[in-house]
Amino acid sequence: MRYIKIYFTCLRIAFSQAAAYRADFLLGNIMSLLSNILFPLVTVVIYANGASFPGWSMWQVLLIQSVFAMSTGLSSMVTQGVMWATMDHIREGSFETVLLKPLPPLFYLTAVNFSTGSLGLFIGGLVMTVVSAVKSCTSAAGVPAFMVLFLAGAAVLCGLDLIMAAISFKWVGNSRIPEIFDSISEFGKYPAGIFPKAVKVLTAFIIPVASVGFFPASALLGEVEGYMLIAVIPCLVFLAFGIWIYHIMIKRYEGVGG
Amino acid sequence: MEIIKVRDLSKIYTTYKRGSGFSAALKSFFKREKVTVSAVDGVSFTIEEGTVCGILGPNGAGKSTTIKMLCGALFPTGGSIDVMGFSPAKDRTKYVRRIGAVFGQKSQLIFDIPPVDSFAMNKAIYGISDADYKKRLDDMTELFDVGDVIHKPTRVLSLGERMKCEFIMSMLHAPKIVFLDEPTIGLDVIAKNKIREVISRMNRNGTTFILTTHDLEDVEQLADNVIIINHGRKVFDNSLDKLRTTLGSKKMIDLTLAKPFTGSEINGVAVKPGEDRLRISLEVDTEQRSITEFLATLSSTVDFTDISVRSLPMDEIITRIYTAG
Repeated sequence: MRYIKIYFTCLRIAFSQAAAYRADFLLGNIMSLLSNILFPLVTVVIYANGASFPGWSMWQVLLIQSVFAMSTGLSSMVTQGVMWATMDHIREGSFETVLLKPLPPLFYLTAVNFSTGSLGLFIGGLVMTVVSAVKSCTSAAGVPAFMVLFLAGAAVLCGLDLIMAAISFKWVGNSRIPEIFDSISEFGKYPAGIFPKAVKVLTAFIIPVASVGFFPASALLGEVEGYMLIAVIPCLVFLAFGIWIYHIMIKRYEGVGG
Repeated sequence: MEIIKVRDLSKIYTTYKRGSGFSAALKSFFKREKVTVSAVDGVSFTIEEGTVCGILGPNGAGKSTTIKMLCGALFPTGGSIDVMGFSPAKDRTKYVRRIGAVFGQKSQLIFDIPPVDSFAMNKAIYGISDADYKKRLDDMTELFDVGDVIHKPTRVLSLGERMKCEFIMSMLHAPKIVFLDEPTIGLDVIAKNKIREVISRMNRNGTTFILTTHDLEDVEQLADNVIIINHGRKVFDNSLDKLRTTLGSKKMIDLTLAKPFTGSEINGVAVKPGEDRLRISLEVDTEQRSITEFLATLSSTVDFTDISVRSLPMDEIITRIYTAG
């Protein structure tokens, strides 16, 4: 109960911070939404020119990409702020101000760094998901499996953010590393059937980015397969690993000269 | 009662050495030379409850590292720390609830919003009751005279205003011990005095303070005891009075001469040149010779127009201890 109260107090403060720069808040949300909405436009162009992903209609592919955008928005709101805040604290040697709070550092950073700038992406992804789902004639029967797989996908992205943050305790100034993982996560935006088997296994079980877009969209389309549900396990392992490695790396914090 | 017990505390960092210039930067990109730095090396001390202890030392001496380990923010490499029965780094979550800390160069306030919102966040984090929060906030804002300031965004505050708010932030949960790492750095005289006044007042109410500083006035006005650290080792640990007499009972005699002095000593005492050739200083060890006798001899041998006698300045004492250590 205490932690819920703290979380919502910090959330209120995060919104106060965002409100301090209204234009930045609005522009940030619009830009983040636009950059993620423009990507599905490529799909629209592909289909408009007669090409396609075999066995997938345009709205079905857009559904995958919309779910992916929504998942990215959710994880960004929760943990992306933790990643950037950790990197900043380590570089500036101010992580002790986090350790002075009588809270688990990860909880504190998650609470105070709620990324309001990703709200637009989440809401935009949600709207696109609903529209794509309606156009793809999905049924409500797939919603429970969708929810499980969607949360598993968001867990993967949160785990990635935490791993990046943890690396910065040792490797100060690793701000380009997230770009590598962003590239890997791109695999989750497409139907897995278009990839070779090795990539399918890698994106399902090793770095389970297929759970970010493709698996939950498949659930909504009523095409969920057993291995997709099994892939929830590596997703949770990914998140658990991110949390574990973050806590381990805190002990390596050395600050900077004072 | 001893509230802090530190035994053989050490902290060793591993860092990398790199030369200057492009070629060194290029070389270090492929191969870096590892360097082990012993920031704190076998330091032991105790601090009594309800006192103010100053930790002094030159830049890079290990003061801030020591205070960060005492706060639980850094894990020691060796030795032990016991504060109120807690091991700070191991029991961090429970321990930090009972302490406050102000780092002069690292803000705990949230930059874009008014301090009062940061205070409200700490209220939730520390679980401070509404009544306690209101009373403490009212008391502190009145004491620091920052009633209006706490409602302005932190980013627009002056350094002095911000530091006062940092103090309020760290004391709202009524900590038993407060760690201050260079709390008056960069402040004007008025702001420094206000902060010192609040520290004295809180100390009289039973709060223990541990402060690192380069401002010797902080120490002279506040500290009961002083610990001096140099090159990671403790070189002095005693009362402020003991520190004043640690180099013996010495007096400085400042003279303004009637005519320029060219010699190197007067009555067996080395001459320290002053701002110009007419101003000189003499350092007399009053344990070796009576000051009365020395002044009598001086007035008969030297023609001066002005004289003043003062104690050896604290910065001189500290400098000599640093140099010796």
